[in-house]
Amino acid sequence: MAEEPDDRKPLLSKKIDKFFTGLADAWNFVKRFFQEVLFPPYEFKEVIHQCYRIGVESLPLISLTGFIVGVVFTNQSRPSLSEFGAASWLPSLISIAVVRAMGPLVTALIAAGKVGSSIGAEIGSMKVTEQIDAMEVSATNPFKFLVVTRVLATTFMIPLLVMYTDFVALMGSFLSVNKNEMVSMTTFFVQVFESITFLDITSSLFKSVLFGFTIGIVGCYKGYNSSKGTEGVGRAANAAVVMAMFLIFIEELLVLQIVNAIRGS
Amino acid sequence: MRGENKRSVIVGIFVFLGIAILVAGVMTLGGQQKKFVKSVHLKTVFDDVGGLQAGNNVWFSGVKIGTVRKINFYGDSQVEVEMNVEKSSVDFIRKNSKATISSDGLIGNKIIVLYGGSTDFPAVLDGDRLESVMPLDTDKMMETLQENNKNLVAITTDLKVLTGKIANGEGIVGSVMTDSTLAKNFKSIVVNLDRASSNSLKVINELNSFTAKLNTKGNLFNDLATDTSIAPDLKASMESLKATTANSAELTQKLSEITDKLNSSDNSMGMLLNDPGFAESLRSTMENTDSATYKLSKGLEALEYTWPFNRGFKRKAKAEEKAASDN
Repeated sequence: MAEEPDDRKPLLSKKIDKFFTGLADAWNFVKRFFQEVLFPPYEFKEVIHQCYRIGVESLPLISLTGFIVGVVFTNQSRPSLSEFGAASWLPSLISIAVVRAMGPLVTALIAAGKVGSSIGAEIGSMKVTEQIDAMEVSATNPFKFLVVTRVLATTFMIPLLVMYTDFVALMGSFLSVNKNEMVSMTTFFVQVFESITFLDITSSLFKSVLFGFTIGIVGCYKGYNSSKGTEGVGRAANAAVVMAMFLIFIEELLVLQIVNAIRGS
Repeated sequence: MRGENKRSVIVGIFVFLGIAILVAGVMTLGGQQKKFVKSVHLKTVFDDVGGLQAGNNVWFSGVKIGTVRKINFYGDSQVEVEMNVEKSSVDFIRKNSKATISSDGLIGNKIIVLYGGSTDFPAVLDGDRLESVMPLDTDKMMETLQENNKNLVAITTDLKVLTGKIANGEGIVGSVMTDSTLAKNFKSIVVNLDRASSNSLKVINELNSFTAKLNTKGNLFNDLATDTSIAPDLKASMESLKATTANSAELTQKLSEITDKLNSSDNSMGMLLNDPGFAESLRSTMENTDSATYKLSKGLEALEYTWPFNRGFKRKAKAEEKAASDN
C-alpha cells in the first residue's frame, strides 16, 4: 500500500513537524506497550523464545567483549597508576569502572548492535511484507506478539547480560593483575568490593533495565514503522541501532547525574 | 515442542546464573561492608572532617570494624560523625578511646581511626560519643615548611655574604685565611694552647690523684664527707666551743673590769698598786715591823733564860732528844 502524499501546510517546517510527529508517534508507541503489557493474553512462550535469542545467543559475544574490556582496561590503566606507585589500586579502579559504567554501557552497545538491528530488521521485513497486517486479520494482536515480547525480553535479559559482563570483565582484569602484580583472587575481589557500594550495583541494574527497554522499544518502533520495501528494512535496522545507541548515551548521562545527586546527599 | 522446552531450560539456567552472580555480588559486598552484621552506633565531633564521607571505613588497631553512617553539622561549625561499629568489636573499645581522621594510604580514602582507651574504663555502648583528636593538617604542615624554606633562603644568603667576605680577606676569619703573618701568629697561639692544654692535663691528673687520696677511706676529708656519725660529734664540739667562747668572753670582760679596778686607786688593790704615798707609807710600816720583829726576837731570846720560862724550854729540849733516840 503506497503512502498518500501529505498536502497539508506544515506548522513550522516540514522537517521540524516531522521530528515532533515522530516524537508523538514514539510516545504513543511506548504508551501502547505499557497498555498491552498489563493485560492478557500473555505470550509467555514467545517471551521465553525472545529471551533465548536475545540473552543466551548474545552471551558468547557479550562474554568475549566483557573479557577483552577487563583485560584491556587493566593493561591500559596500569602505566598511569604505576607512575604514582599505585598499581595496587588497579582492582579498585577496574571494579568502579566496570560496575558503574563500562559493564552496562558496553553490554548495551553490543546488544544494541546485535539485538536492536535484528529486531528492527525482523519487524521491518514483516511490516513491508504485510505479515503484520495478516496477523491483525487472523485476530492475533501483532503488537503484543511482536513488540511486547521483544521489549520484555530485552528489558529482562540486558540486566542479566550486564551481570555476566561485569563478572567476566572482572575475571579478565584479575588474570591481568594476577599475572603482573601476583595478586591472589581473594585479595583482588576484596579490593573490588571494597570500592563499590550498593548504590553502584543498584544504579547499574537500573541503567541496564533502562538500556534493555530502550534497545527493545527503539528496535520495535523502527521496525514497526518501516516503509519503502526492502530499503526501508535496512533503514529500520540501521536507525534502530543508531537511535538506541544515542539514547543509551543520553540515559547514561542522565542516570549518572541522578546517582551522583543521590551519592552526594 | 522439544526444541521449545530445551530453549526454556537454557533460558532458565541463564536467568538463574545471572541472578546468582547478582546475589553473590550483593552478599559479598554486604559482608565486606558489614551491612549484615549487628552493629552499634558511635558518635564523635570534629572541627574539620577533611573530606570524610558516609561509607568510609572505621578502623580500630588497624582492623576495619565499621563504616561512617552519617555526617551532620553540629553546634556552630563543628561536624558530628555517626559510625556503625560491629557489635563483636565493641568490647575492645573503651569509653575513653579517641577518634581521629586518617587515610588508608598515601593517596587513599579518608578513614576514622579509633585508638587508645584503658581497661579502667568500661566498653562503649550504643550511642556513646567518643573524644575526637584533630589530625595533622597538611596545609599547616606546608605553611611551616614554607616558613622553613624562607629561613633556609635567608641563611644561605647570609652564608653567601659571609663566605664572600672570607674569600676577600675581610674580618678576622678572612684575615686568618689570607694573611700569612697572622696565620703564623695563629699557629704559634695554637702551639701555646697545645702546651697549655698539656699542662692543664698534668694539673688535672694531679687533681685527680689528690681527689683520689681524699676519697680514700679513713682519710679525714673522706670521713668528713662520707661518715655521717662525725657530723653530730662535730656539731656537739661546735656547740661546746661556742659555749666556751661565750664563757671566755665573760671571763675577759670580768678580767677587764678587774684590771680597770686595779688601774684605779679608789680600792685597796688599786691603791696598793697605783698610790705612791700609800706605797711609801707601806714601806715605812714594813720597816717598822721589821725593826719590831727584830726587837721581839731579841726579847724572846732573853725570855728563854729567864725564870719561870726557862724550865719549859728545858722540858721541850729533853722531849726532842728522847724522840730522836727512839727513832
